[in-house]
Amino acid sequence: MKNMFKYIVIIVAVIFSTAACSDYLDVNTDPNNPTAVTPDLVLPVAQHYTAQLHHGARRFNDLSNLLMYNWSQSDGFSWYTDEFKYNVTTSFYQGIFNDSYTRCLKQYQVLANLEEAKYVNYKAIAEIMKAYHFQLLVDAYGDVPYTEALQRSGNSTPKYDDAATIYKDLIVKLTAAIEMIKKAEATAVVPGADDGMFGGDMTNWIKFANSVKLRILVRQSGLASEAAYLKTQFDAIVAEGSGFYMADVAINPGYINGEVDKQNPLWDNLGKDAAGSETANNKATCATDYVLTYLTNTNDARLARLYETTAGVLGVPQGLADYDTPVPDAFVPEKVCNIGPGILKSGDQGSIIYTAAECYLNQAEAVVRNMLAGDAQVLYEAGVTASFTQLGLTSALATNYLAGTYANVGWAQSANKIQAIITQKWIATNGTTAEQAWFDYSRTGFPAGLPISMQATSADRPVRLFYPSGEISANTANVPTQPNAFSAKIFWAQ
Amino acid sequence: MRSLTIMLAMLLFLGMEVAFAQRTITGQVTGADDGAPIPGASVRVKGASGLGTMTDPDGNYSLQVPDEFNTLIVTFVGMQAAEVAISGSVVNVALASEDVMVGDIVITALGISREKKEVTYQTQKVGQEDLVVSAPTRVTSALTGKVAGLQINIQDNGVNPSSQVLLRGLRSISGDNSALIVIDGAIASSGALDDLNPNDIESVNVLKGATAAALYGSNASNGALLITTKSGTKGEKLTVGISSSYTLDKVAYMPKFQTKYGTGWEGAYDAIENTNWGPRFDGQLRQIGPTFPDGYQVGTQMVPYSPVKDNLLAFFETGKTLSNTVYLSGSNESSKFYLSLGDQRSTGIVPDDEYRRNTIRVNASKKVGKATLSVNTSYFTDETDVVGSTIGHQDRPLYWFILNTAANIPLSTYKDWSNPASYGYADNYFNGYYQNPYWAVGTNRNNDKSNRFLGNFAVNYDFADWISFVARASANNTWGYGKNWRANQKYSATLKSAMDEVSSFVEDTEYQISNYNMDALVNINRDLNESLNLKVVLGASNSDYNYRWSEMRAENLSIPGFYDISNGTGSIVPDLVEQKERSYGYYGDVTLGIKKYLFLNFTGRNDWTSTLADGNNSYFYPAFGLSYVITESLPALQDNSFLSYAKFTASHSTVYNDLQPYQINERYFQATGFPLGTSNGFFLSAQSVDGEIKKEQVSTTEIGLNLSFFESKISIDASYFTSKITDLITSTTPSVASGSTSFLTNIGELESKGFELLLTGNIINAGGFKWDLSVNFSNPETIVREIGDGLNEIAINTTGQYGVYAVVDMPYPQMKANVYKRDPQGRIVVDGVSGIPIQAEGLANLGKTTPDYILGGGSTMAFKGITFNVTFDYRTGHVYYEQGSDNMEFTGRSLASVSANRQDFVIPNSVIETSTGVYTPNTNIQVQGGRQSYWTDAYNDVKSNYVKDATALKIRELSLSYTLPKKFISGLNVQNLTLGFVARNLMTWLPAENMFSDPEFNNSFTNSNVIGVGGYLQSPPTRSFGFNLNIEF
Repeated sequence: MKNMFKYIVIIVAVIFSTAACSDYLDVNTDPNNPTAVTPDLVLPVAQHYTAQLHHGARRFNDLSNLLMYNWSQSDGFSWYTDEFKYNVTTSFYQGIFNDSYTRCLKQYQVLANLEEAKYVNYKAIAEIMKAYHFQLLVDAYGDVPYTEALQRSGNSTPKYDDAATIYKDLIVKLTAAIEMIKKAEATAVVPGADDGMFGGDMTNWIKFANSVKLRILVRQSGLASEAAYLKTQFDAIVAEGSGFYMADVAINPGYINGEVDKQNPLWDNLGKDAAGSETANNKATCATDYVLTYLTNTNDARLARLYETTAGVLGVPQGLADYDTPVPDAFVPEKVCNIGPGILKSGDQGSIIYTAAECYLNQAEAVVRNMLAGDAQVLYEAGVTASFTQLGLTSALATNYLAGTYANVGWAQSANKIQAIITQKWIATNGTTAEQAWFDYSRTGFPAGLPISMQATSADRPVRLFYPSGEISANTANVPTQPNAFSAKIFWAQ
Repeated sequence: MRSLTIMLAMLLFLGMEVAFAQRTITGQVTGADDGAPIPGASVRVKGASGLGTMTDPDGNYSLQVPDEFNTLIVTFVGMQAAEVAISGSVVNVALASEDVMVGDIVITALGISREKKEVTYQTQKVGQEDLVVSAPTRVTSALTGKVAGLQINIQDNGVNPSSQVLLRGLRSISGDNSALIVIDGAIASSGALDDLNPNDIESVNVLKGATAAALYGSNASNGALLITTKSGTKGEKLTVGISSSYTLDKVAYMPKFQTKYGTGWEGAYDAIENTNWGPRFDGQLRQIGPTFPDGYQVGTQMVPYSPVKDNLLAFFETGKTLSNTVYLSGSNESSKFYLSLGDQRSTGIVPDDEYRRNTIRVNASKKVGKATLSVNTSYFTDETDVVGSTIGHQDRPLYWFILNTAANIPLSTYKDWSNPASYGYADNYFNGYYQNPYWAVGTNRNNDKSNRFLGNFAVNYDFADWISFVARASANNTWGYGKNWRANQKYSATLKSAMDEVSSFVEDTEYQISNYNMDALVNINRDLNESLNLKVVLGASNSDYNYRWSEMRAENLSIPGFYDISNGTGSIVPDLVEQKERSYGYYGDVTLGIKKYLFLNFTGRNDWTSTLADGNNSYFYPAFGLSYVITESLPALQDNSFLSYAKFTASHSTVYNDLQPYQINERYFQATGFPLGTSNGFFLSAQSVDGEIKKEQVSTTEIGLNLSFFESKISIDASYFTSKITDLITSTTPSVASGSTSFLTNIGELESKGFELLLTGNIINAGGFKWDLSVNFSNPETIVREIGDGLNEIAINTTGQYGVYAVVDMPYPQMKANVYKRDPQGRIVVDGVSGIPIQAEGLANLGKTTPDYILGGGSTMAFKGITFNVTFDYRTGHVYYEQGSDNMEFTGRSLASVSANRQDFVIPNSVIETSTGVYTPNTNIQVQGGRQSYWTDAYNDVKSNYVKDATALKIRELSLSYTLPKKFISGLNVQNLTLGFVARNLMTWLPAENMFSDPEFNNSFTNSNVIGVGGYLQSPPTRSFGFNLNIEF
């Protein structure tokens, strides 16, 4: 019996000696997920998120190609109901607002917060990409949280900043980022393969920063009140001397064809899934009748690259109620023009977020508006040619096309140069960065005569998106009264 | 010295004769309830250490007792000890069984036994008979409707259903609100409760509030279910028993659908549509499905264009469950044991769904001198083989495919899915957009195998009759693996132009969860003087939780039908989650009893937890209470025939809810798709965390009254509780512009309160007829008092158009959805041009998703071995989101979609806002698209259309059993034979507006507090009925 008692004492002693060990409770470290990582592991994800914000399902590219009448819907799908109604609500494309902040900008902010001097290149990249994203946010929403944004637990309800003021500050931030790169110590870490845009070529980052500035400045170029400011800024870019990035800017962190979650987001969304079969979105999405007619009438070789024409050239008007009259099944996926091989190349293609064509055309517009020195026609034609080559066509075909006698094609035939530039930008951004065409449409009204959806209840397409419902309820005190989606243009279009 | 004493005692025990002046006392020891002799009972002489004997096989004893001793102590395992005065030379003793005593003994936290009158808070016990009356396969379904304040939500009714156990509603926004599960004194888990064989359970004692459970520290806030498994029948005779049941499950009801319009789109007939937007049924023979080329294996399928009665119901089969438990049980003076083997085999209502489980339980205890050793162990294993949950190219659940079948489709004729010459074959199936559900059953499977070992070992050592020591170690380990797979399916481009290829995959998962708990405590029970009794418990405990889950997934398999990771192409996607959590604590419990009618109780526990930073991780949990037995304190009340018992209790406690492991640190996670080639990538967690985060505090005050009348024939237990929950650990929704989608912080305050009432009565007990009635009522309500600066609500889960929220000054959880804009008279405001209703801004509060009250009840009638039992519960005052109706609106099967005969129409009782605040009745502006698009777009866009009254009245259990009289069976050497008819969920009454399913069903969300959203992810509700048989030898 004594033994029994002894055993009990021993057992209890063992139990509580383990409990009393000072490190018994020291198990609160997640073995699967680190609390700190180096910037080379943050940057590729940030860039991948940027690509997804453009080319993922129901993000910028889907929205803007539908708004800009590039894309429509095949028979058998009710995919784009809200888009065809221009049903801009607090849930309509809310992923654009949400993902910009909680995915892309959050990741770039992690880099921007780096304190060690050796990471100055990463900080600069972060600032350039933040400017890139904030411009997109302003262009789609107007006033957005900026100065108080991205502080996470530090500020759950950031105030909204004035759109025009944000625009001004973006230029300042970009200038500072360029300075950061130029002044980087030789010991500073230079990104390598983890930089899915420029492979760590910091000169290209400087050029890209200038390209972003170009986009920001040209967008405001219609504002007479800003003419002097814009001129000064252009002069500063010229003085800086690095120039613009004159090739397509694509994100490719290492996309792999045929692997789940590893394919390029555009391909994954509208091309083929990892098993190699066409996605439902691929079948559901096709050309509008108008865009095919427009390209055909201007003898534009890009038609067969922008759209898949194996079964002929057939588009669908947006918002068609009855697909079967007069001909049943006329618009089933295999009979219409789905998205073409110039846009959907392969699962490992890069995601283009800023085309060379747009860069040339932006410069052309700046020249036409006397803000930048240069030859507008040369820039315009270089832009159109870049669009052809981006889609996999020869520059000879571009030359041929530019020699055509259509307005808004040939420089000489185009009475309104701005109209020609913007119309060409509409074609050059088709399928890739069409949000630029949407913003410019709000700003200039070009391309002229673009139809609206048959289901629209408004006179024209929307000019902005609504703040998401989640943001309205989480940041009630700060979210501005929602401006009208059709009439309240962003400041640069007013 | 001690061992010498014990040796001596044992020698004396064996009947050594000692020379004193003494007399011989003889007698028989019998059981008080049945009068049967008790062999092996111990008969000792009080005060004469070691002097005693044991009864012979006939229960007789003979003992020499010295003259100076006048009292015998008679004890037997499983019986109440009796002290009997010696008067005369024959002393017969009838021992009352402990079962009788259990009525007055309450097992409280940490397995401490207390007399009921001492307990300062409310508890309710459910005994064995009530648990197995309807032959349930899960304990939770057996508890439903029987305990005041207990809400059990059966969240689906597959072959292996899941349930949620809530006591007194909800009191946390982000934390777990489920009750603590304790099995045989050791902390277990809700999974362990589901894995128990109901036949092995002796009783379930429900500790309703935090006060009752305060000794469990941070696990206490949601109350506790203390489950005691069987320990062994009394008497040396071995009891061998078999409990068998065979039950059938049938679909109880299907969604309410229209049967006027069939296959088609925009009013026109379309032979391959999944939707019902075609013309009105006309009975004509029409082509269904694709047009096949000449010479194809099958010709055009023609079916009458008229509704097929119950065409979707016909898909479901009758589920069958055969359940057998064999048990052995016995005891002697020093030991008890219970052994059981259980086997359950089920098939589900979905074709090919199968489930099998086996349980083994070994419970034994042995008294060795002053020590009692006991062990309770069970092993559980099950196998589930059910249809997959990610079917087709859209990864949908099975019900989706069934629901996407128009009213004119004879669904049950498509069974032969693998035959290329059948209309059920992939390319031939009529539906151009969704697959044949029979194909889904054959090509998408989820297989799981799980095991659980539950064991605890306890030592109880009595130092003296007033002090004892208990040490207990327990393990709750579960492990298992699963294999989910999907076959590849290609489609003919001409026959199925809109169909996407279905990719194949195989997914292997493994998991291990282990939970170790240890307890050691000293139990003191001393009478300080005539009127003061002191009971003290001092103890310590620790817990160690480990979790590990891993998954490997391979896509696009090379060899058809070979489901192994090696068969995948592309990279294998692995995933691994591990968690560890530890805590320890010290506790004390002091009960002071004054004159056996007033009891004061103080408990305290201090916990240290691993989930918070060192130095900031210690918490003290105090509780105090009093119990006042009025009938014992006032002599005037004693022995009256009206009020037999009256007790008043009051208590207060403060407990804390802990955080999850690792929650306090913001972490980086590998991003989906990474590594991409050589580049790896991590993202910063979407959730940001308050650096100062701490536990949330729950303070509860409770008062209770227990009354019995007419010699305890009728009793009433009433209680009222109020809780205040502060520093809520809340995943708040910050502005997304902060760079995080949630912010974990301590914020706000909840208040919960409610009444509980339990009324039990023996209505009739005459002429062999006995009728017992029991009614319980509870109305817990939780109000959000505060959330945080500038915040009025927190979304627990939302789509933006509807969701479950916590809203300030509103009951929680609150259903919110977008609603029609209405004028001051409540009329719907429509657009002056399109006639389409305008939506009000924002989302409206549309009601809470837990009931205003639950009324439960049961009736048991017994006459000559025939027992008729019924249990019901009624829940009302809450809403739920009919997600099934919402998601199926596009198919045109809803009753709403035919309410205007598929015509354009003027929204009834609508107005047009002609100028601000001026509303003119709308008499002529019709909505367009009445044949389809109005319903799929405008109507479907207003989610309040799908927020429905969740009221339900259910006959949860019904049974009729017959116990054969002893004289019929005695020749068979059988002690007991009971046969019964049993039924569960036999009847359900729902309000007319409920169109879809059981409002109790719930989708599974990461946050289990998202209650009130269910629909097409679960199969339709079932009712079950069958027979059971219990034989004891």
